[in-house]
Amino acid sequence: MFPETAQRLKTAAPLFSHAAFVTDFRRLSAHGGARRHLTVGRCLTAKVPPPRKPRERVEIPGLEMVTYGERMHYVPGLAKPATQHWERDYKDPRYYKSPPAHEMLLYKDKPCYMFNQRTSALEGVRQAAWLTKTQVIPGLPAQLLSLAENPENQIPDQDERVQNAIKHARFWDTTEDRPRKEKYSNTLLLNLLHLCATLQSSHPAVGRRMLAENYSLATTWKRGEDLLQIRGQNGLLLSSMDPLPQMSGKQEVADTADHVLHAFYPVSPTIDLQKVHVYKEEVNHTGFRDDYPYPHAHTLYFLESADPRCKLRPEQFRTKMIMFTFGNALARAHKLHGTRPQRLLDRPVTVQSVGTNGRIFQFMVFQLNTTDLSGDDGIKNQMWLEEDVELYDFAKVRPLIKKKQIKVQCEGRRGFD
Amino acid sequence: MALSCLTRALRSLTLSQPAMVSSQAAAWSKLGAQVPSSAVIQCRGFLTTASLEQNRVRWKQREKYTIRPIGMKKTGGRDHTGRIRTHGIGGGHKQRYRWVDFHRLRYEANREGQPFEEKVVEVRYDPCRSADIALVAGGERKRWIIATENMQAGDIIKTSGFIGRMAVSANEGDAYPLGALPVGTLVNNLEVRPGKGSEYIRAAGTSGVLLRKVNGTAIVQLPSKQQVQVLETCMVTVGRISNVDHNKRIIGKAGRNRWLGIRPSSGLWQRKGGWAGRKIKPLPPMKVYINLPSVSAS
Repeated sequence: MFPETAQRLKTAAPLFSHAAFVTDFRRLSAHGGARRHLTVGRCLTAKVPPPRKPRERVEIPGLEMVTYGERMHYVPGLAKPATQHWERDYKDPRYYKSPPAHEMLLYKDKPCYMFNQRTSALEGVRQAAWLTKTQVIPGLPAQLLSLAENPENQIPDQDERVQNAIKHARFWDTTEDRPRKEKYSNTLLLNLLHLCATLQSSHPAVGRRMLAENYSLATTWKRGEDLLQIRGQNGLLLSSMDPLPQMSGKQEVADTADHVLHAFYPVSPTIDLQKVHVYKEEVNHTGFRDDYPYPHAHTLYFLESADPRCKLRPEQFRTKMIMFTFGNALARAHKLHGTRPQRLLDRPVTVQSVGTNGRIFQFMVFQLNTTDLSGDDGIKNQMWLEEDVELYDFAKVRPLIKKKQIKVQCEGRRGFD
Repeated sequence: MALSCLTRALRSLTLSQPAMVSSQAAAWSKLGAQVPSSAVIQCRGFLTTASLEQNRVRWKQREKYTIRPIGMKKTGGRDHTGRIRTHGIGGGHKQRYRWVDFHRLRYEANREGQPFEEKVVEVRYDPCRSADIALVAGGERKRWIIATENMQAGDIIKTSGFIGRMAVSANEGDAYPLGALPVGTLVNNLEVRPGKGSEYIRAAGTSGVLLRKVNGTAIVQLPSKQQVQVLETCMVTVGRISNVDHNKRIIGKAGRNRWLGIRPSSGLWQRKGGWAGRKIKPLPPMKVYINLPSVSAS
């Protein structure tokens, strides 16, 4: 309390000399035990009021203002002298005011619409499909499903091990009653990733992958008249040395040219995107340096509770998944083929992604067929989206009443598949 | 600590030699040559008044429009002097203010002058008024407006500032100037001065009627049967305001009134004067909100 009041007094009453404060401190603190707890009849914690705007000076041409500047003291009736704007001639980081937006070096008249990890798009998946010129196909491609069904690709004791992983994440990983959502969704994801990694003995390709977290992605593309950018750190990335094989054949890719993108008049597709005038043009960065041994993005993992300030609804969460997967694919394509828009990529870039909130999973495969995104016609990219797959129904902690003693027993989930 | 500084400052204003407390003298002797030659401690004076500005209105000083609800400070019926100006207000559930845009004809930055359409995203309850509010999105912006009776999520509503020769067949929820609407339409959110924003007919279930249009002006009947003459370029929305059964609700208990922030009225029996009782009187004269050019003396 004392240092706080001392600071408040220092700001409120700079009239007293510093020596006086020191005296007081010593007197009060070294008073031999009998401290006086002075109660002050005012609020000690308050918001600092905002700085008041100075009164507007009215300049009347031809009329000279008589100020008390020359007299060096206030004279009632005379005007206040106008202070000249003073700039420090050296740069002090403690007192630096950034220039307004239109004076910044990177200011451009044309605005750029940025998508970052906290954007909540109004129209959801349709908006993401329009922005990325994508055809949305519900359900995962048949090849992937057959791969999953194939018993060679499955872990021995798969069901039991997954159940253990869920139990660990939901029940055992805490000293409190229940772990919090951020914690258990993260633990569950890592456990499942570990289970997949145990397949390395039979599938050597698993060993040629690497996990990375919190890398900054940046991509730019043009959509009609507007410049769009994706920026941000999207979460967990599994990158690999080899690119993913393409999901759909050449014929299907050519068929997407007939697909019409769904527009949503009267809402503009750039709604909810952050509009900025200060940006770097043509910035394309995968987040890693050129000599990174695992350059190809394989799968992205999104957690709904990664950012506690930003709560996204399921539709908006899927939009974020789509946009960042597209961003990774586009950054890779720009790196391989350059930034000039290409109508058809001879090797489409494929990236997968998984999003979860701890119980419900969304799976997505994105195939980038073209980087020519300015027009609405032509070959489109493709996306297979499987929404709302439940891993388990519920995981509850139920009390067990046994011989008048209440024990807590962790009961499992039902409906697990 | 503050008190000691205060008392010391007060002491410094006295002219006589201040009587020093023994502990203070001991502390001063420790510091050595800190004892000033003059007995009076230099003190230039201090403010005795507390900060006069109240932060009761700071919550509404925001300049940029936002759809996020803003935390509100309740006044309890008190004005800037601190006394009750309106009785019976106070307490109630905490409310957050949703900034409703009453300028229906507000163009976006680059698209001045053209009629535009907006899509209703959501219609929800507003704690600050009796009507419901609707979140509408058009172009690149979203805003709150007062919802009309049959507005639902997914509707498209049109706003136009153009007055044609023929009257427009307006759908509910659309906004047009009074000159463009046919006589007899139910209207709400009436602007009396063009461009000022709607100030009339905003409560739940209310609607006005466009009575007639007279060269350049229009006459509207308000819900209180008062008639008002305004310029025909004033914007108005078509239909009745939402939450039509608001006047039929039953409060049920005193507590519910308190939740709404309504304090009980004075229980003192007061003799009713000439103001009480049913009155049957003719309608007040029509209020004219147009500055007609004055007839100059020839």
